[in-house]
Amino acid sequence: MSDHDHPHPEHSDPGHSDSGHDIPSELALRVKALESLLVEKGLVDPAALDALIDMYEHKVGPRNGARVVARAWCDPAYRQRLLADGSAAIAELGFTGRQGADMVVVENTDTVHNMVVCTLCSCYPWPVLGLPPVWYKSAPYRARAVRDPRGVLREFGVELPEDVEIRVWDSTAEVRYLVLPQRPPGTEGMSEDELADLVTRDSMIGVGLPRAPGAKSTSAGTGP
Amino acid sequence: MPVLKAVDVEATLRKGDSARLADPVAPRFEVGARVVVRNLNPPGHTRAPRYIRLKRGVIERDHGVFIFPDTNAADQGAKPQHVYSVRFDAREVWGDDAPSNAAIYVDLWDDYLDPA
Repeated sequence: MSDHDHPHPEHSDPGHSDSGHDIPSELALRVKALESLLVEKGLVDPAALDALIDMYEHKVGPRNGARVVARAWCDPAYRQRLLADGSAAIAELGFTGRQGADMVVVENTDTVHNMVVCTLCSCYPWPVLGLPPVWYKSAPYRARAVRDPRGVLREFGVELPEDVEIRVWDSTAEVRYLVLPQRPPGTEGMSEDELADLVTRDSMIGVGLPRAPGAKSTSAGTGP
Repeated sequence: MPVLKAVDVEATLRKGDSARLADPVAPRFEVGARVVVRNLNPPGHTRAPRYIRLKRGVIERDHGVFIFPDTNAADQGAKPQHVYSVRFDAREVWGDDAPSNAAIYVDLWDDYLDPA
């Protein structure tokens, strides 16, 4: 994963000890055994597996979502369409596909902050964010995002005024959610491309905020 | 099931996998209706998270008609029905020590809900 340098919950996550990223070698072995069996029986084409991995490593990732957000920041009519029919507005930019056929976009404002979780598994909007980070799938994030969202946000370094309403979207059904973060102050006159560079993966899950202009661009939360 | 070929991967993934159905099923609830989640504890698959069972909420948005996973997973048919975004106040779910200005939105099928 390219988000290994992410400064927070992956490392401080309370679930790290029992469900963090150290995949048991037994599990890895079981996957390998299953793969060779499926390939031997002709049920899986190894070239298709490679194509699948290539697609989510290089073509589909949070830069797609960042394009959507930057467009919404620049184009009020697009923002309206995005909030009214997320699937159609996202498809306008060419981002469609599995785990993103039915999209709802929720907008952060001065009075409302949205964050997304799937308490039952790891549902995540693949076409705009790619595959979910490890912490998103971890039991502690899934349990605590709904029980103590402010505490979780604090661990991600996000402190919001007490009077901001927190809305947690538990995407356990068929709809996938994308958070439209607030455009950072001091970005007037920036181009859509420049704005897209400020949009982090975490800000579109709702556990982070976009980077301030001039802040160092790192790979944290932005890699595919 | 046909084996997925490398050349078809991109088109297949981009096509999507919506569980939305065109069946003209009437919604049981209007936006703004007060609902309570049924106390469901099926032995098989369900998408009604345990933490909101018997909790009261308000229909926030009607997402339309979708396959019902509880029956579909058990090979008992798609049972098309509406899915709603239901808003639950944090205090309704977690009690009085939860913040007053927090809410959880859960997507729930008609069969999970009763009028409150």
